[in-house]
Amino acid sequence: MHLRLTDEQQMVQKTIRKFVEKELMPLENDVLRNEREGKPSLSAEKMHELQMKAKEAGFWGINTPEEYGGADLGQMMLAIVQIEVAKTFVPFQFGGSADNILYYGNEKQKEKYLMPTINGDKKSCFAMTEPGAGSDTRNIRMTAVKDGDEWVLNGEKTFITGGNEADFVMVIAITDKELHQSSGGRKGVTCFIADRSMGWKSEYIDTMGEWGPASLIFENVRVPDENVLGEVDGGYDLGLEWIGFARWVVGARAVGSAERLLKMAIDYANERETFGKPIGTRQAIQWQIADSAVEIEAAKWLVLNAAFTLDQGEDNRHAASMAKLYGSNMGNRVVDRVLQIHGGMGYTRELPIERWYREARLWRIYDGTDEIQRLIISRNLLKGHVKVG
Amino acid sequence: MLEGERILMIIYVILKRTFDTEEKIVIQNGKISDDGAEFIINPYDEFAVEEAILLRDKHGGEVTVVSVGDEDNEKELRTALAMGADNAILINNEEVEEKDQHTTASILAAFFEDKAYDLILGGNVSNDNSTGQVGPRLAEQLNIPCVTTITDIEIEGDMVTVVRDAEGDTEILKTSIPLLATAQQGLNEPRYPSLPGIMKAKRKPLEEIDYDELGIDEDDIESLTETVTVFLPPEKQAGKILQGEAADQVKELVTCLHKETKVI
Repeated sequence: MHLRLTDEQQMVQKTIRKFVEKELMPLENDVLRNEREGKPSLSAEKMHELQMKAKEAGFWGINTPEEYGGADLGQMMLAIVQIEVAKTFVPFQFGGSADNILYYGNEKQKEKYLMPTINGDKKSCFAMTEPGAGSDTRNIRMTAVKDGDEWVLNGEKTFITGGNEADFVMVIAITDKELHQSSGGRKGVTCFIADRSMGWKSEYIDTMGEWGPASLIFENVRVPDENVLGEVDGGYDLGLEWIGFARWVVGARAVGSAERLLKMAIDYANERETFGKPIGTRQAIQWQIADSAVEIEAAKWLVLNAAFTLDQGEDNRHAASMAKLYGSNMGNRVVDRVLQIHGGMGYTRELPIERWYREARLWRIYDGTDEIQRLIISRNLLKGHVKVG
Repeated sequence: MLEGERILMIIYVILKRTFDTEEKIVIQNGKISDDGAEFIINPYDEFAVEEAILLRDKHGGEVTVVSVGDEDNEKELRTALAMGADNAILINNEEVEEKDQHTTASILAAFFEDKAYDLILGGNVSNDNSTGQVGPRLAEQLNIPCVTTITDIEIEGDMVTVVRDAEGDTEILKTSIPLLATAQQGLNEPRYPSLPGIMKAKRKPLEEIDYDELGIDEDDIESLTETVTVFLPPEKQAGKILQGEAADQVKELVTCLHKETKVI
């Protein structure tokens, strides 16, 4: 047992921290201005330029297998990187990666979809959620009916991250209604790769944050049989794998953001004076700072544990749910306290705290709500899949 | 050193571990406290590491980074290896009680005594003590040319053309190798340690030697200076806004500059 980062992990952490401080944080004012003016937070050109700069230093495909040109550093490194990158609200992502389930594609699909996604030439999205079915896959309505060597897709997907920008979607649709019902939604659904040019449409959904997902509309969209990803009727497992992968990463984002916010609160508490003394000398402020620091630390260990468990080749779903549930709630508590410590200033758009406040609220909802995480955790315990202690 | 038509350069970089530029300085018991502080490669030394790597990539050869200090310096040496240096050497001076720039330069001089080298690069100053002494002192002891605050360097055969920042002016000098040069801001843009570099850094050679293995006596390298007291600069005072007619303001300003700030 060694509860410390290795030398390599520390060096990666330090390097990413420097990259974030030097390349991303100086863009924060521009991002705030762009968002206020209704423009994209970061232009596609700027994002590409930053990704290329990171690529020069080998920060490319951090989690992508080496045979696909990635660094394949594992989940712990990914956690460290995500925590550091989340210290700014500049929406940057390192390039060179693709959705985990695209690796299940056949050679032709890998060539047509996986490699261009890794190289940044194509953008993907994944669509399972529908207006009447989130984590409850039994209620999926979208259908795919075989017609010759094509499938005809009809239905609507919603809250699809990246759906406005995607060139293709990995979409889940019912291919065997009876099997779907009899298996409680676990079978009879299939994952299809559908190009935008095949006819699906997207609509932007305005949210309280700067993140805008999409609704995807499928009306008689014809998808060739060769675009079935994985097995026909076997799309449920792919869906779970896609969702499960990102789950604990939300916790990592919350940790990084909360660390930056807490630093802002500490600086402010030492500077801002009321009644002749810095507010940091007041117990009311001190306790908020102490509670935030403890909770951030706790969330960080849950996140690192979820990542470490996966690196060991073990099932990390229980750990991932705990990291996601606690991390996202911790993030919301911390941003609320930090806003309170800043008082009126915190509520203004002069500072980015209100922006983080709006973003943080999403953490408790996407990639499985608080309630779904609690359902998973308690079910694992009540059914004896996981033991206490 | 020549190998056929190609110059193979043996380059050393002398490197110091210093406080992160962002750290707040806290004085405890008359000394600067390093409790919980973050450390980095001295930023000026980072320019030197980058230039050494660029010159090696252009001319061929080898880059070795050398640091005098305690075991903690390993981290910064590993960072330099991750940037692309080939070897690292840590000369442990923990046992030396009274240390100053003379101590460091003398230890380095003893180290370089039996070494072959074309170029020794270092930072112009460190961001902690900022004396700028170690480089020139080392060159003096090794009896080789020294150019400080360089912003460009070109090597052709044995000839070296150096551009240096002379307190705002630019000087162009021609000299020859072996040479010791210290880096000024503007020499280059240091690269980030690369991800593959970080993973390889652990496997690159990092040798640790004790200063007394270099055949020097503690008495000969003892500090020549004495630190009498350590104190923080006075806190910055709020600015003064002058009021009234322009002519009166000018008079008051001159009086202030003369009597209060004493710059005139």
